[in-house]
Parts: sequence; C-alpha cells; structure tokens
Amino acid sequence: MPDQIVVGSDAKGDCRVVVSPGKASAVEVVTGDPHLFERGIREVVGQTLAALAPEGKIKAAVAVTDQGALDYVISARVEAAVRTAFPTVAAIAPNVRRRPSASDAPRRSRLYAPGNSPRILVGIELHGADLVLVDLEDSVPPAEKSAARVLVKHLLAAIDFPNEVWVRINPLTLGGADDVREVLLARPHGVALPKAESRDDVAALAKELAKAEMAAGARIGSTWSMPILETGKGVLHAEEIAAADPRVALVAFGAEDFTRDVGARRTPDALLFARSMIVAAAKAADVQASDTVYGNVDDEAGLAAESKLARDLGFDGKGAIHPAQVPVLHEAFTPSEREMEEARAIVAAAEEAEARGVGAIAIGGKMVDRPVLERARRALKLADRLAGRGKT
Amino acid sequence: MRNALGREVPDKIGSRKVEPYAGAFAVRRTGWKAPRPQKSCVPGENKVLPSIEAAIEATGLQSGMTISFHHSFREGDRVINQVVDACARMGLKDLRLCPTALFGTHAKLVDHIKAGVVSRIEGSMNGPVGDFISQGGKLKEPATLRSHGGRWRAIESGDMQIDVAFIAASQADAYGNANGINGRTPCGPITFCMVDAQHAGKTVVVTNDLAPYPAYPLEIQQGWTDYVVVVDEVGDPEQIASGTLELTKSPARLRIARLAADAVVASPYFKDGLSFQGGAGGVSLAATMYLAEAMEKAKIVGGFVMGGGTRIMVDMLHKGLVRTILDGQAFDPIAVASLGKDPAHVIMNPGLYANADSRGCATYMLDAAFLGATEVDLDFNVNVNTHSDGRLLHGIGGHQDVAAGAKMTVITVPSIRGRLPVILDRVTTVTTPGEVIDVIVTERGLAVNPKRDDLKGALVAAGLPVRDIAEIKEEADRLVRPLGKPVFGDEVLAAIEWRDGTVIDVVRKVERWQ
Repeated sequence: MPDQIVVGSDAKGDCRVVVSPGKASAVEVVTGDPHLFERGIREVVGQTLAALAPEGKIKAAVAVTDQGALDYVISARVEAAVRTAFPTVAAIAPNVRRRPSASDAPRRSRLYAPGNSPRILVGIELHGADLVLVDLEDSVPPAEKSAARVLVKHLLAAIDFPNEVWVRINPLTLGGADDVREVLLARPHGVALPKAESRDDVAALAKELAKAEMAAGARIGSTWSMPILETGKGVLHAEEIAAADPRVALVAFGAEDFTRDVGARRTPDALLFARSMIVAAAKAADVQASDTVYGNVDDEAGLAAESKLARDLGFDGKGAIHPAQVPVLHEAFTPSEREMEEARAIVAAAEEAEARGVGAIAIGGKMVDRPVLERARRALKLADRLAGRGKT
Repeated sequence: MRNALGREVPDKIGSRKVEPYAGAFAVRRTGWKAPRPQKSCVPGENKVLPSIEAAIEATGLQSGMTISFHHSFREGDRVINQVVDACARMGLKDLRLCPTALFGTHAKLVDHIKAGVVSRIEGSMNGPVGDFISQGGKLKEPATLRSHGGRWRAIESGDMQIDVAFIAASQADAYGNANGINGRTPCGPITFCMVDAQHAGKTVVVTNDLAPYPAYPLEIQQGWTDYVVVVDEVGDPEQIASGTLELTKSPARLRIARLAADAVVASPYFKDGLSFQGGAGGVSLAATMYLAEAMEKAKIVGGFVMGGGTRIMVDMLHKGLVRTILDGQAFDPIAVASLGKDPAHVIMNPGLYANADSRGCATYMLDAAFLGATEVDLDFNVNVNTHSDGRLLHGIGGHQDVAAGAKMTVITVPSIRGRLPVILDRVTTVTTPGEVIDVIVTERGLAVNPKRDDLKGALVAAGLPVRDIAEIKEEADRLVRPLGKPVFGDEVLAAIEWRDGTVIDVVRKVERWQ
C-alpha cells in the first residue's frame, strides 16, 4: 500500500487531497480563510467519506488544501483519492434526475470543456451551448484520467445543465470503458466516442453503455452516442458508423486528427471530401452531423466563415473550444428570419394542398418538391425547439 | 441610532458627531463653506526648498496635525512614504493622514502607525493599512472613509481640515504651478489634490522635474502653493497600470461583461449622445470594449466617456465613437500621453465630477456606468469596502458618486468567487445604497432593481436573461456549504460616509465567529 495518495492540484478553484492509508482517521483542512470556509469543507469531506464507507470508518488520514473549490470538486477529489488508496471501495452513485433529450435536439454548438480543470468547468453550463461536451480524452493527461472521470461525475451530479451535457470518453481500450462506468452514474445525455472507425467500435460502445445503464439503474438505451470521425478509415466508414446503432444521435468530424492521419493541410478544400462524406452518411442514417472545431479563438470572422461553410454543406452544428464561440455558431446554424418565412409559406401551402386534396404543392405558381417541404418542416421544428432558449 | 437603511451607527465617532444617512439625495446643505488662512505675496519670493525635511520645517508641521496626499501614481507612488519617513525622523507623532487612496506600496505606513507617527486616517484606508487595522492594529480614532466627491466636499466645507498638503507632481515650476501630464515621469491628472491645495494651511508641491515658468497645464496653481521641493523620485509611472488593466480571459467574467454591455444596448439610453463611465478592472474594461463594438455597429456617436482613462477610451475617441473623454485619473500610459495631446481628452477634478455640495456634478450627466463590488444584497445595496470576513481592504473611490449620478448604474459581479457567494441577504458593509443601483449583472443572469420596471421591460424585450436576484443567489448558494459568519462587536474601526457627509455604515471589529 502506498504511503500517500495525492489527487487534485493547487490551481485556483481546485483543491489538493492527500490520503494517507493506515494512519489514524482524521481530517485536516487548510484554506485561505478558515473562519469562512473550514466548517463547510469539513462537512463536505465528512459526507463524502460517509458515502464511500457507509459501514464504517475509512482508516486513513485525509488532508485537504483548498484553493476556492466548490463542494462538488472537493467531493470528487476526496472520492478519487480514497478509491485510489482503497481500490475495493465502491464508487459513489449520486442521485441524478436529468431531463431526457430528443434524438434530434438542437445541437448547433457542442462546447468542449476539459474534464480535469475545475476552474474552467465553473459555470460551463451558463454559456448557452446546446451541448456541453466534457472531455476526458485529449485535454486530460494520462496521470489525471482516473481523477478526472470522478470529477466529471460529480460535476454532472451537482450542476443543472439547461441544455444537453455529454462526455467525450477515451477510446474503449484506453480507459474508455472505465469512463463510461463512472460517468454514467451521473446520467449524461450522451457519450462521444473519439476515433470511431467502424460499426464494431460503435457497437462496442453500445454494449458498455448498456452495462453501465443497468448498473446505474437507468433504462437501457437511454444514453445517446456520438461517434467522432477523425481518421481516414473513420471517414470512409461514415455510412456504417452513422447507421450502426439506434443510440447514435449525431456524428461529429474531428479535423485536427484527420489531417494528421491522412497527411493533409487544414484548408477548406482538403477537408471538403471528409465533410461531405460525413454529412451524407449522417443524413442517410437520419442523424445529425456536427462539424469540427475552429481552433483560433480570437478570429471571430474566420469562425463565422467556417461555420457558414459547414451550414452550407448540411451540418447541423459545429464544435466550440471557447464559450465566446457559441453565439457565432448559433448565428450560423439558426434559420434566418427569411428562411423561416419561406418555410412557413411552404408548410402552409402544403397544408392547404392537403386540405383541398391536391397532391402537388405550389407557391406563386412554382412547384415545391417533397424534400423542400421536409427541409421547411425541419427548420420550423428547430425554431420551435429553440424558442425556449434565451439569447446567448 | 439607526440610519435610513436600518444600519446601526453611533452618535459620535471619535470627537465628531455623526449625522445618520437619510437617503441618497436627502441632505441639501446651505450656509458658507470654510475659509483658508489669508496670505499675501510680493515680487521676488523664493518658494523652492532643498528637501522634504526643510518643507516640514518651513510649514510648521507639528505632531497632531493633518497631512494629505493624492494617489495619481497609484502603486508607483514614492511621495507618501518619503514624507511620512521624514516626519518620523524628525520626531513628529500623532499625525492624521488624509490620502485620496493608499496602495500596497504604502505597506510601511503600518510601521509608522505602530510607532505612533500616524494615529488617525481620513479619506481612504485600503490595502495593507486597512488589513492591519482590521486585524487589531490600533488608531486613536476610527478612520473615516469618503468617496472622491465626499472627500472634496469634506475639505471644502471644513469638515476635514488639512494642515499641510504634499502634492506629487511630475512637473512643476519654481513658483508652484504643477501638473502630472508633463515631465520625465507623467502620471496623469493630479487634480484630486486641487481642493487640498486651495484649502490646506500650507501647500507643498513635490516634484522631480523643475520646468521653466510657467509649467502647464495649470492643475495646481502658484496662488495656492507655499513651497516647492525637488526630489529624485516622485513616482514610477510604469506601476500606474498594475492590476487594473488586465483584460480578463475568464469565460464567466467575459460573459458578465457581455451581458452588462448588452443591457446598456437594450436600454433607452443607447442612442446618439450616450455617455458612460468605463473604469478599470478586467470586467469593466471588457464591458467598455463590447459597448464600443456595439456603438460602432449601430453607428452611434457617444457623448462623453468618463475615466479613469484607459487605452480603450482613447481608442474610442480616435475612432469617433465618443466626442470627449472626461478624465480625473489615468490608468495607463496611453491615457497619460493622450491627455497631453488631444484637446477632447479633458482633465477633470473630483469637484467637477462628484461633489454633492456644488452646483453640478459630471456624474449626473452620465447615462450608464459599469461598477464593481465585493458584495451585493437582495436590496441591491453594494459593498466595496469590506470582505465577507469583515476585513476592510478597499476605499470607496468614485463608486458612490457615479452610482448616484448615472441614469443606469450597472454592477458587474460574479455570483460566486471561489467558495465565496457574492450575493448576500445583507451586505457586510453598505458603501452604496440599493436606491441608486439599477442592474446587477452576474454570469447567471441580470437582476433589475424593482424600482426600474421600465428598464426591466426593455431588457426582457431584448431577450436578455433577466432573473430575480434571490433566484441567482440561491443558485450560487447551492454550490457551497454555508459560510462561517463574523459576529461584530461594538468597537468601530471606520465610518463609511455617504457622499453628502452623513454616515451610511460603520465597519466594526469582528468579535467572534459563528
């Protein structure tokens, strides 16, 4: 047994928890202002320890050095440290009630947030993103993976996300299965699978999700999945991936890894094939398509241009790496007032045609095709779903 | 006794009788203001003295008297320490200090307080000195904190008599005309001390750059100046901007800034002639920038923007987004440089901008203002002086004056800082009453003062996330277990004056914790 387990950090908004197994059970708290904070922190630590060992005391000294961490961060750090020190201790299963989301919920923006950084996670639900995607993969260094998945679980349990919250796990063979088991205890709307390359990858995720849903007491099939296509193979298999499993609600494109994988430079032309392939595959499977992130946070005009391109290609949304990008995405992927007027006119004409028992729909003497009517209906539905969402 | 906000204030603080706060505009003073000792001049007099010690001697400064300073060099000030050190060397005791603000660089004043050189403070008591007093350090009398306008008013009315004013100037002539705009180390306007110079028993200009007569602009004038001292260093302009000019990168803070700017854009004041107060600090700067963007997009030309001047304001002036900058203090070197060059960048003094006992305040011409806070409460009261642990760490600055004047005062605060919720049932100390606060903006949404249903309607119509302040508070409170609460004793550490000279609250010493 190691002398000491250290979890967390001295970064702002975080805390460092040191668990010393074998020592007499005691809790030590160091905080900027003990008068204000010590009692509350002790309460959180005490409750977390009780939840971890309902039968009796954990025989270990626990020391918390606080840097302004919220309660859920402290709980997460304590749980991760205790479970590392005592691998037989079971994970805390929080009681979470999450509003289910529709498979075609608006997903104009999927906002990435690093799952190991309490400071950046604070208030991540407040920026109006349609989908917050908390990341356990690329933004989390290997040594922090296990603590991060516990932190993400506590984040999901503590925070009421106004729209969707998803988790990007690691590839299943690289800790992704553990990620699923842990975070599903806090009922994310969905799980994103990086570097998906085949129908089998999606099926393997579905199997893990089903196991975890069962363990968490959730309905089987209640968690959406999002394969991220970011390799040559993944893009070529887009069709089978998008259609692999009813859990798939959208497929996303990851251009950074894709360009590296195929040896391309990141230009609109170089990405055109992959983008079009993904959109076509998604629409063939009747799921949504979400474009890759735009890496330069300070270049709003560049983001707007790339978002417009993605919208023109048929994408339903796009990734964001900073909350400031969210409004730009929403602008690009929300039907404009003119599009809405057109859509309303088309749907009205269709209803009228139906009422009169006429097969063909015409506006101002011009025939309207079925696919155009479908697109109009989708635009109105999206607008309807967005009506409840405030300005971002 | 209880003042109009229900805050318990003593009848007397030290030797002075307390007038309780009665309402933001309840006190209208009449009568005559205080005179200054008469003095005549004849041709050929020499005002230049070789050292601060010589000036102390010449002015007749003695133990128990009051000395005053301005803060235009901010963290880079070198004059306060030099003067008080000299006083200590000369054996003076029991001095009353009357600075416009103090900074970290003045930490050694704590030693002078311990040694009895300084025994009373009026004006501002922030930073290390405030902390020291909060932690049990003793003054002979409770300190009195005043706003920029309130300090001017108190000196003009005679409520605060200054014996010797020491005025740091980056340039002066031998006859006592002085400014902060020119010279080797310009710091921006030094007009905060104009009132000191005109009302002190003796006025001493301290400079490191003696220019040929006349030194201009004429911020401090020969007719007010008794002596001129030349020293090696008055201040380091590099340190003026310390801490106030970092543009925030935090998404939560940027969201607050965005919402604050959006609120002004949605208000009826967003039209040609829009005049507003910017200010320093990450959120205010970002909000000013967002507002400038919106003005540019809507092709709106603002009226005046009020400083502390910053490069962002100078930029707005150059782009033609505002007609004028009214600037009482400069927050960065670009603002300092602009003051000397651009006639539309106008030097302002606190009498002009904020004095309630005058015939006009520039703040009353403001449409909108962005201000910060350490705490706010459900009644929209604002605390900028103390932290939730009771420690007195900040001065009032222009907070009261701007909030009282602007048609739309917007407080920008995070709903929680670390583990510290910022919205309370009742602020620890009232600096500015809810009566003059219109909107509180947090990252969780905006709360509009119930008195301003008109404004609320406009903000809701614009699709902004307008919420009940209690609801925002509950949401933030849910993130942390309740805090320990200080229980205050009877001992008063400082009085917080409202800008009209009444006492709006007092800071008491923490007795125990519950």
